[in-house]
Amino acid sequence: MCSFIVLIPSVRIYNVNSHENKENALNEKVSASGSSPLTTHVLNSGDGVPAARLALSLHRLDSNLLIWNLLTVGTTNEDGRCPGLISSEAFTAGMYKLRFETGAYWERLGRTSFYPYVEVVFTISEPQQRFHVPLLLSRFSYSTYRGS
Amino acid sequence: MSVQRLQKLQGHIVSASKSAAMAGPSSPLTTHVLNTAMGVPGSNMALSLSRQDPSTAAWSLITTGTTNADGRCPGLLTREMFTVGVYRMRFETAQYWESLGETCFYPYVEIVFTINDPSQKFHVPLLLSRFSYSTYRGS
Repeated sequence: MCSFIVLIPSVRIYNVNSHENKENALNEKVSASGSSPLTTHVLNSGDGVPAARLALSLHRLDSNLLIWNLLTVGTTNEDGRCPGLISSEAFTAGMYKLRFETGAYWERLGRTSFYPYVEVVFTISEPQQRFHVPLLLSRFSYSTYRGS
Repeated sequence: MSVQRLQKLQGHIVSASKSAAMAGPSSPLTTHVLNTAMGVPGSNMALSLSRQDPSTAAWSLITTGTTNADGRCPGLLTREMFTVGVYRMRFETAQYWESLGETCFYPYVEIVFTINDPSQKFHVPLLLSRFSYSTYRGS
């Protein structure tokens, strides 16, 4: 019996990766090693649909200067998600803030809402883990939780 | 009982009340913190209420307080102070969980809301666990 070992040249793997990254041109934060360790998902619980085209931003607190540094600006896609928030390299331990432009979202739908924006501030102690910070949103309520 | 004695007693009762009661009619804005993980009110949680200046966007502190045994904080503000504007309630959630010997994913929670009709009553509760929270506009 012979066993076969198939060798794939490492150059070929590199080329495949770089093509994939070019397709992810908008997701510059996505490293070749994988998707963002921090993800979100915004759901419009009032209408029972994903909250699409909602603007959001990710910030990290500079613990020395005590100011927020803007890391990423994005908009949720049709599924209410925003891939490529941050790369694993950039995802260091610290205090983060996800700001969701909820007021603008409802305004675009021709409705008022109680919250002009929602900011969720959370602490990352173990950045090797994956964190999912969703927002379930209606005009008069919202909730969030730590998912995976 | 002498009138003087009664007046002294009355003075003791009034001063023993939280400053909340001194606001007269109840606050048009109330909150209620619930610890949903443990199924108890979120008592002894520090919080603060601020209003945003519409022209400068700067925040001004209106009041600070601590939730009582029922997770409430009466007397947040008076009707006179409750003007149209953007308000922010900040809850010291990590501090709260730390006092219970636990960590919390959220160092604090800030809920920013718009008041267009201050003649109404607004209830802005916080349902909180170590890894989740929710809020809604109540009455």
